[in-house]
Amino acid sequence: MIELRSVSKTVQSGDHPLTILHPLDYTIAAGQFVAIVGPSGSGKSTLLGLLAGLDAPSTGSIVIDGTDITKLGEDALAKLRGEKIGFVFQFFHLVPSLTAVENISVPMEIAGRRDAMARARQLIAEVGLADRAHHYPSQLSGGEQQRIAIARALANDPPIVLADEPTGNLDSGTGRIILDLLLNVRRTRGATLVLVTHDAELASLADTRLTLRDGRQVETRVGAAS
Amino acid sequence: MNFILLMALREIRASWKRLLFFFICIAIGVGSIVALRSVIQNVRGALATETRTLIASDILLSSNTPMPEDVRALVAREARAGRVAETTEAVEIATMVRPGDGRPVARMVELRAVQAAFPFYGTLTLRDGTYSHARLTGGGALVRPELLAQLDLRVGDRILIGTKPFEIRGVIASEPGRSLGAFSLGPRVLVDLADLQSTGLLSFGSRANFQLLLRAPEPTVRQLGATLTDALANKFVRSRGYWQNADRIGEDLTRAENYLSLVGLVILILGGIGVSSVTRVFVQQKVRSIAILKCLGGTSRRVLAIYMAQVIALGAAGSALGVALAGAVIASVPSFVGSLTGTLQIDYGLSASAVEQGLAIGVLVSLLFSVVPLLEVRLVKPSLLLRNDVPPLGRIDWLKWGVTAAVAASLVGVAAWQAGSLRVGLMLSAGFVATAVVLHCAGIALIWAVQPLRFSRSFALRQAVLHVVRPGNQTRVILLAVGLGSFFILGVRALQADLLRDFAVQIGPTAPDMFLIDIQPAQRDALSAYLDSQNGDAPPPNTIPVLRARVTGVKGKDVTLDSYEQVRGRSGLSREFTITYRPELERNEKVIAGEWWDPRTPGAEPEVSIEEGFLRNTRLNVGDLMSFDVLGRQITARVASIRRVDWQDFRSGGFMFVFRPGVFDAAPHTFIASFKGPGDPDTRARMQAGLVAQFPNVSVIDLREILQTISGIVNNVTTAVTVVGSLVLLSGALILVGAVSMTKFRRVYEAAILKTLGASGRLIAAMLVLEYGVLGAIAGTVGALGAIALSWAVATYALELAWSPALALTIGGIVVTSIFVAVVGVVASWDVLRHKPLSTLRAE
Repeated sequence: MIELRSVSKTVQSGDHPLTILHPLDYTIAAGQFVAIVGPSGSGKSTLLGLLAGLDAPSTGSIVIDGTDITKLGEDALAKLRGEKIGFVFQFFHLVPSLTAVENISVPMEIAGRRDAMARARQLIAEVGLADRAHHYPSQLSGGEQQRIAIARALANDPPIVLADEPTGNLDSGTGRIILDLLLNVRRTRGATLVLVTHDAELASLADTRLTLRDGRQVETRVGAAS
Repeated sequence: MNFILLMALREIRASWKRLLFFFICIAIGVGSIVALRSVIQNVRGALATETRTLIASDILLSSNTPMPEDVRALVAREARAGRVAETTEAVEIATMVRPGDGRPVARMVELRAVQAAFPFYGTLTLRDGTYSHARLTGGGALVRPELLAQLDLRVGDRILIGTKPFEIRGVIASEPGRSLGAFSLGPRVLVDLADLQSTGLLSFGSRANFQLLLRAPEPTVRQLGATLTDALANKFVRSRGYWQNADRIGEDLTRAENYLSLVGLVILILGGIGVSSVTRVFVQQKVRSIAILKCLGGTSRRVLAIYMAQVIALGAAGSALGVALAGAVIASVPSFVGSLTGTLQIDYGLSASAVEQGLAIGVLVSLLFSVVPLLEVRLVKPSLLLRNDVPPLGRIDWLKWGVTAAVAASLVGVAAWQAGSLRVGLMLSAGFVATAVVLHCAGIALIWAVQPLRFSRSFALRQAVLHVVRPGNQTRVILLAVGLGSFFILGVRALQADLLRDFAVQIGPTAPDMFLIDIQPAQRDALSAYLDSQNGDAPPPNTIPVLRARVTGVKGKDVTLDSYEQVRGRSGLSREFTITYRPELERNEKVIAGEWWDPRTPGAEPEVSIEEGFLRNTRLNVGDLMSFDVLGRQITARVASIRRVDWQDFRSGGFMFVFRPGVFDAAPHTFIASFKGPGDPDTRARMQAGLVAQFPNVSVIDLREILQTISGIVNNVTTAVTVVGSLVLLSGALILVGAVSMTKFRRVYEAAILKTLGASGRLIAAMLVLEYGVLGAIAGTVGALGAIALSWAVATYALELAWSPALALTIGGIVVTSIFVAVVGVVASWDVLRHKPLSTLRAE
């Protein structure tokens, strides 16, 4: 379970402070699929980053499975991410110097798993790119890179998968494939899926839809899937 | 741990081309250190096994007068006591040699007259057969091949030494006892000691060195050495044991090894600066990858460890390459220095300790110079994957400053380790920092000076100047490295020009350029007459009476030295001085205390005028008494005046002690003479040969030949320093290549945009040429300014030479540096011109 208690984020914009996320209280139950929607600059990605411990909130606390992650140091946060959170970015963010299969194996190697490479091969096969295992990111299309990124996010079987507009940079056909992969993950592994999207159709598939505007929660709607 | 190593290997696999120059920088520095240390250790190793060979005996006694009888008696006593096994005598003297067929040529040689037992150790090797003393007996001579070439002689021909003819019976290939790399007045000639007396060379006052070589049983040899040193303290006979020889040469070599290693260290530190700048840019480029790793669960410490491991691996690879380069260089050493080392059998090869040191320093310098930039890894936040506007760290990064201080202290430690002295290490570090700061400030000033070009009408020039000052362009590092290289080269070239100009002035059109020594009083008039007859309208020779004397006592207000021991205790006081007497001051002298004697009236007591340099050891004053041993006769003289001699003007001679005429008028002494010889080489050679034929005991020193030798030495030193400067410049070029390749992605992108906006390939090329040309011109100017300052300071204060700015050299240096940097920069940026704009913009 993920609990947000009065979580806000303020950054410095020139000489003035700028609040990009106003205090928010919200709870995400384990295994839930939540879509965060809203226009650009509404604070969606900021919220997702705070959930992943990629950034620290200005106020409030975020509790994941009973652990207040806002009290953790950088290294403890990194460890937590490695164990509990898989993250999928809009711009894929694969390590350019590693091949596709190496990119998938990295989180497992960090966690010290001995079967890292074998499992990476299994995962790359699951996303349908076994024949591209030894290609570098620059040699893959956007859709292929995103499939590798999803495989990487699933490497350590995290209970939480966070995705920041995972189809936002892809054509609709490829976006559909990526979406199916993510939904399949949730279905087969029972993971909590939090997804930031502009896509209304995609959002409608979520259990719950959280709408933000100008950094404020304006609506929470239970979706069709529930 | 596995993850760290695995990732380090993967990173190297992906970035090795970009980091290629990283390990070349390290390789050149490590290669220099390993090569220099190995060669010197090889020489030291050879010397350690051949220390007896160097003096051809266990103990060598030497004196500038025939060996005193009491010394012989002492040696005989020691022999009876079983502490001396065998003795033999030798005499060394520099003299003139002429062909026996009367051809008008002559050469100065270093003659050594030996007995049958010579040498006790080592082998005298001949080109044609084996050495035995029988080859020398009855007027035989063995000569070095250079003499045969110089006088066009062959084995079997006759030569005249003094008044005696000798038959050349062999050619010396190598000879024990010949000092390593020692300056020599001429090629070696070996004769029988029994024949030397009849040459007439050992007349009174001749500059011969009389030697007694001892062979002694090993168990008591050092005790014998101590006994002889004590007993000879008052005799001005020098005793030298083979172990002292080894100690002295060992100390010299250790010093040389440490100083030369510092040269390697300077090159390595420059490489380190390159490493530092590459690492900084590398981390900037890797920020996203670092953020991804952190996002995937990697802690800062583990991510830092990945890049540290990478640096260590690259440092180790670079060091290994350096060792390989050093091996290749050392393999070619024998062909370069074969003739220099003479008899010494040196096995050139990499020494294990030099390799160990090189590898350790290579990895250490890599780590030290990259650790501070790598600390940036800690500050990379994974949130930048979501948002680029990560606020900068507001507080002071104490860890970074602490590590920077530790790195600085470690570098001082490395310098001190390499120099073998904390003081030298600190001085080098301070010197390096000072030079870097000065070059840096000069660079900033010059960058500021070219700013008006930003408003030039030329688009290419405008862009070029803007690029020079743009952030992250590595301008400061390039200026430092290239500037330092040109500073070294131009500085030493300017000094070389000053030195050679000074010597050329010394032997100007009217100044004396030939010197005669060991002229006997009876020969004086005849010699003057001969020179007048041969030398046309040239001014008559200036003959000066000379004697040799030692200071044996000083009685001043502040100092009283009554014994030889006390005199010896004062550094430099006990050496033998050449003294003269005359009524007048010479034109290069000035009295600074007391009064010069009135030449018309005889003095009531012996009087002496001393040179001010002598006061450093004695604090003497006018009116004090000094005692001298002049050829065994004790003279006490009152200090009448203190003179300042302009030593630069050596044509008028320079003497520490000048006596009032009268004291030595009747004493046996010799004369030296100086005169302007004929300009035509043939006439000059004929005149020399005639002189030697008529006055065989007189030695001729031809200043023109000496000048050639000095020019050769100056040129060799210049070449050596130029090689070092070139290595520094090469490091600079590598840093330039590295900086270009690390920032190339930015240029490629900019070029793509400019091409899209209509810029032609030629315009982009012109921008690149101008940018690097301007950078090179600034670096060259920085180096040239430094070189001017260096040459002025060294010429004025160290060498006391007249200094003048080498304008052509300076301008030429700036132009060449500018072209050099432009060519290297453009070649390294070739990709910028080659890339198609569409692919570049798509990739972005």
